Amino acid sequence: MWKVENPVPSALPACALTAAAILLGLTVLAVRLRVEQLDNSSERNSEMKQQSERRVLTAGARGRILAAGGEPLAVNRPTMSIVLNPGAFQSAGRSATVSNICEAIEAAERTVGRASKLTARDIERHLERALALPLVVWSDVDEGEFSRFAEHSEQFAGLDCVEGYERSYPGGSLAAQLVGYVGRERVEAQAGDKRFHYRDFEMRGRAGLEYYYDSYLRGVPGEQIVLVDARGFPCARREAIRPQSGPDLELTLELPLQRAVERQLSGLKGACVVLDPQTGGVLAMASAPAFDLNDFVPVLSQEKYDALATDAGKPLLNRACGATYAPGSTFKPVIALAALGAGVDARARYECTGAFTIGDRFRIRCARTWGHGELDLRLALKESCNSYFCWIGCETGTNAIVRAAHAFVLGAKSGIDCPNDLPGVVPDEEWKRAHYAERWYPGDLAQISIGQGMLLVTPLQMARVIGAIGTGRLVKPRLNAETPVQMSRLPFPDAHLDIVREGLRLVVSRTGTGYRGAEGVQATVMGKTGTAEVGRGASRRKNTWFVAYAKGTDASRAEARDREVAVAMVVECGESGGGTTAPRVCEILKFFFNGPAVAGGAQ
Amino acid sequence: MKKLLGNFNWPLFASMLALIAIGALTIRSAGAVRSAVFHDMWLSTLQTSLFGLAVYLTLAFSDYRNYFSWFALPVYAFSLVLLVLVLLVGKSMMGGTRWLWFFQPSEIAKPCVLVFLAEVFGRREELFPGRFRFRGFLFAAAAAGLPALLIVLEPDLGTALALAPAVVAVLLAAGVWRKGLVVLLAVGMLAATAVLTAVYEAEKPGVDDARRERILEYVPLKPHQVKRVKTFLFPESDQMASGYNLRQARMAIGSGGLWGKGYGKAETNQLKYLPPAVSMNDFIFCVWAEEQGYMGSLLLLALFGVLALSCVHAAYVAADFRGRLFAIGAATLVFAHVYVNIAMSIGLVPITGLPLPFISLGRTFLITMMSALGIVQSISIHREEIT
Repeated sequence: MWKVENPVPSALPACALTAAAILLGLTVLAVRLRVEQLDNSSERNSEMKQQSERRVLTAGARGRILAAGGEPLAVNRPTMSIVLNPGAFQSAGRSATVSNICEAIEAAERTVGRASKLTARDIERHLERALALPLVVWSDVDEGEFSRFAEHSEQFAGLDCVEGYERSYPGGSLAAQLVGYVGRERVEAQAGDKRFHYRDFEMRGRAGLEYYYDSYLRGVPGEQIVLVDARGFPCARREAIRPQSGPDLELTLELPLQRAVERQLSGLKGACVVLDPQTGGVLAMASAPAFDLNDFVPVLSQEKYDALATDAGKPLLNRACGATYAPGSTFKPVIALAALGAGVDARARYECTGAFTIGDRFRIRCARTWGHGELDLRLALKESCNSYFCWIGCETGTNAIVRAAHAFVLGAKSGIDCPNDLPGVVPDEEWKRAHYAERWYPGDLAQISIGQGMLLVTPLQMARVIGAIGTGRLVKPRLNAETPVQMSRLPFPDAHLDIVREGLRLVVSRTGTGYRGAEGVQATVMGKTGTAEVGRGASRRKNTWFVAYAKGTDASRAEARDREVAVAMVVECGESGGGTTAPRVCEILKFFFNGPAVAGGAQ
Repeated sequence: MKKLLGNFNWPLFASMLALIAIGALTIRSAGAVRSAVFHDMWLSTLQTSLFGLAVYLTLAFSDYRNYFSWFALPVYAFSLVLLVLVLLVGKSMMGGTRWLWFFQPSEIAKPCVLVFLAEVFGRREELFPGRFRFRGFLFAAAAAGLPALLIVLEPDLGTALALAPAVVAVLLAAGVWRKGLVVLLAVGMLAATAVLTAVYEAEKPGVDDARRERILEYVPLKPHQVKRVKTFLFPESDQMASGYNLRQARMAIGSGGLWGKGYGKAETNQLKYLPPAVSMNDFIFCVWAEEQGYMGSLLLLALFGVLALSCVHAAYVAADFRGRLFAIGAATLVFAHVYVNIAMSIGLVPITGLPLPFISLGRTFLITMMSALGIVQSISIHREEIT
């Protein structure tokens, strides 16, 4: 049928060859794909992650600051913000995208009823620097704005509500200098192995306990992963690591008492510390004038900052432990203990003639210019006789007095857990030489014997001193309720302490200088007045003190129990310790021991 | 009818349907995250495939010997006319004039050339009495070379080259002048080597621009083709421009791993790192491979294997010579596309704009491929009369 020249080739070789070529091709592909998809898989995956994943370090919620019993001093107030997802407004070219976003914001402004602070420049910067993150259009919208937005939210594709939180201080100015305030900073990466593309803002303590306990209160940061598309716009986000809230800080502070203390200080310049002398727990710590902590949220405005910074009353200053004053006569119990330790007889009498003179130029006058007459130690404490204390001070000597002061940890930081813990000054020969390049005169000794001269203490230190005299034990003051109690015995014999205590009880007796410090208080009270003169000439003024120790039944709580308190209050530019300060401390003690109703009536 | 169904090549038919289904699914996944235009592409692909199926069944159940003779020359001539037309009035898109109204003539031309060659060689007794081998070779070179030349002019070198294996396979099966074939293959390989070497020399690091220009003057490639060859030779260079697609493709395929990321979860596509123009066309394999992993890749390779080998089987059992030639040509044509398409997305061959049969978006190619397989099915069904 076929001619010889053109035989039909057999089907088998051609088909076999084609099939073989196909199988070979399939094998090559299968092997190469195995290498690509299995062997190189993890490498390709990490390449892809590098390309499309943006890691964001997110902030954990800050812990709260609570007073004893859980009453809040600093909390996180939930807020609503309206944010914009730039990805929904993508357009060819950045400027077209920016104008899309501007239009969307303008449209939403009419509904929300508040103008956004964003400018086209801000939007452009956001697109340049933080494209993968949502753009906050309105932070912290109020309820009306939120509900108006939510009602019409379907009109605003690409805009979204997100929850956040803002620091809030329910007490307002309550314990303001102590609690402190926060600022905003980028979250710090934990011991840095990972690199992040973006870091959120978190609150960072700037003052007070917010500053001191900042690392404690701060939450553990989390990690969010944002998937970005080829143009860098965010497409999806997931939480790789949940941020954790910081722990709450519970204080020893008792808010009802704190309020009572602040009421007593209102309108004045001064400070007051109430200490539990058995545990060292600070029950109240107030400094006046104060300021509203909520002014610092979210940021302090320039006018308010100027007002605070130029206020003559220095409201930002925590006078309770961050300011020093001459203790005046409240230092006399320390002198008494030093003198007893140095062998001065408590029953020895000294005739006060109204002044104490050294040589013919140096002269210290007594409050009673005509003199107290003959006094022993107890009476001298009761009358707060300057001449007597100058006399036993000179008898005792500088070194013994300084030792006694150091025994009460004066001239050193108290170790309380808050910033601005000032040490004050207990001067001695060496100190004077170093600071004034002058020798130590007997006059200096006489000055510190009545708590004046170069001697400086903080109200906190004085509360600690009077508490230690009351209990015989020196405690380390503390604010954090969880800090263990630290105390040590005073290096003075009980007999000496009893003599001083007796004298201090006389102070608040009907005829004592501080009789107005304990009138009607249902507790055993001992106290000491102080009136320290500072400044010269026109700026001469008196800082008036009252320190008190009281033991009785705490009536400010539901379950009554025996409690002790040590109070130190200083009022700048007062009349006298007994007249200005003692009655205020008395009110505080009444509040504590007689029950709030009584104090409220007295108010 | 019973006889027709008895010879029906089920693997050929079933693998084609499976591939079309996979294609529609992948197009749907690739288009889902795009703008609305792309959302229903998968549906229109399915509609097109219904039309293709009608053509397929018509061609399959009619005896190919009845229609081959009369339509071989017209379809060949028709495809030549279209190829000329596209050069004259075609739409220019992405560096080439490939579109005539709504279809690409070059895609139609490929099976038409095969039909024509099969018909002519099947009737070699009449057409080349006596010395078939040499004249057949010359004829084939001319018959395939003319449309190839027109396609190169578009320019679409890849499509033209994709035709070459099929033509070579048909010539081999037809038993034409083997020495000529060997020479042709040798010349082709030499040319390819020369081009690769020249581009390598011109583009390797540290070559100054003057020398580069001088070398490239002798390389008969368009600038974008030179770039593709360069990307193939130096995949690390130039990652943001021509190397970008390759880098994204390899990332997509590689990150798929063993089991893939799941349907609709191809990140490279979702996040638009692969431009939609390529993720639904030339690089659609990446979307599938990222979603379904190595297992999915193997499934796809297996389906293509079944399809191509079923064609070879049809060739083996074909009733006559032209049937055998066409079936072998069709098998090679399909597989050449599959091989080049997948190989280019893993950097095994330079990037060429070849679609993946039945998977890539493209109605012209889908219909012509289904028609070609319809003829192969007919060859398989009407096999009885072989002696």
